[in-house]
Amino acid sequence: MRLVWIRAAIVGAVVLTTVAFLLAFFVAAPAPFGEVRIPAAQVSGAQLGPNQPVGVEGDNMVFLRWDMGQKIFYFHVPVAEASFLVFLFAAVYGGLFLAKRDRKWDTRSRIAMEVTLFFVLLTMVTGVIWTKWAWGVWWQWEPRLTTYFIMTLLVVAYFVLRNSVEDEERRATYAAVFAIVAFIDAPISFLITRVLPSTHPVVFKSGGLDGWQLATFIIAQLGMLLFGFAVYELRLHEERLGERLEVLKNSLGG
Amino acid sequence: MNPVLEQIYSLVVPSAPYIIVAYALIWVALFGYVFFVSLRLGRIETQMSVLEDTMARRDKTAGAVKAAAEADDAESAS
Repeated sequence: MRLVWIRAAIVGAVVLTTVAFLLAFFVAAPAPFGEVRIPAAQVSGAQLGPNQPVGVEGDNMVFLRWDMGQKIFYFHVPVAEASFLVFLFAAVYGGLFLAKRDRKWDTRSRIAMEVTLFFVLLTMVTGVIWTKWAWGVWWQWEPRLTTYFIMTLLVVAYFVLRNSVEDEERRATYAAVFAIVAFIDAPISFLITRVLPSTHPVVFKSGGLDGWQLATFIIAQLGMLLFGFAVYELRLHEERLGERLEVLKNSLGG
Repeated sequence: MNPVLEQIYSLVVPSAPYIIVAYALIWVALFGYVFFVSLRLGRIETQMSVLEDTMARRDKTAGAVKAAAEADDAESAS
């Protein structure tokens, strides 16, 4: 029954992200990216379509330039926000393990960290692709990128730590403490562009999304969160089945 | 070509490889992850059903042996 719900969540995530993909390219308006001046004599009114001039300067008409590279935003940001949220769950489950000393919370925390790592890597890769297009460089040591890079290293370090401790109880305890401490970087990374001067765009600070742009973003965000939930549950289901398999093997062997 | 469209396409085309790579990567990664987890899950489920069958057969054999032993005991008692 659980597997049916997980499959339904995956289908839901596929539908939502596909709808967001189509909206991003066919409905949501591209963001303006500077201006372009074209001699008025070359401009035929009938051919302009929706791209109307925003002003006139001497013999030139001023048009907005549209940035198609901005379309990466509709998936890059939802993936990044999903990474923050799943990371929060990993830290909370770590805290629950420390409080209750029940191994199930350690398993949940580890799986949440695994999903976090997946989202973090996707955020980093789509981020540098956008950076290359928008800023002309693959990387810049500005506050958001730097703190997010630190977060990536922390998530990777979590798995290095787990693999370096043999005793199961100690491993679970260290990992739980590490997950909680590492999570401190997430709100710092999220809020830093609102506190320090940064070249990274802060879309919601200026309220820069119109109706369809916002709708596209919300649908993509819901799809990505649903996907994160589905993958987490799928991995948890796999882990539980694996544990049952071990018990069966041991009872047969005994 | 219409100068406005020319300007628009000059922006669309250079950004296209970046957009395509970013989107393709997200989709391939998402589906790849689900695919591999499902594959591992399928493998575990197969192993589970094989083991459960083996255990059921073993229990059945043990039950038959036990029943035979009980019948044997009853026969010798009479």
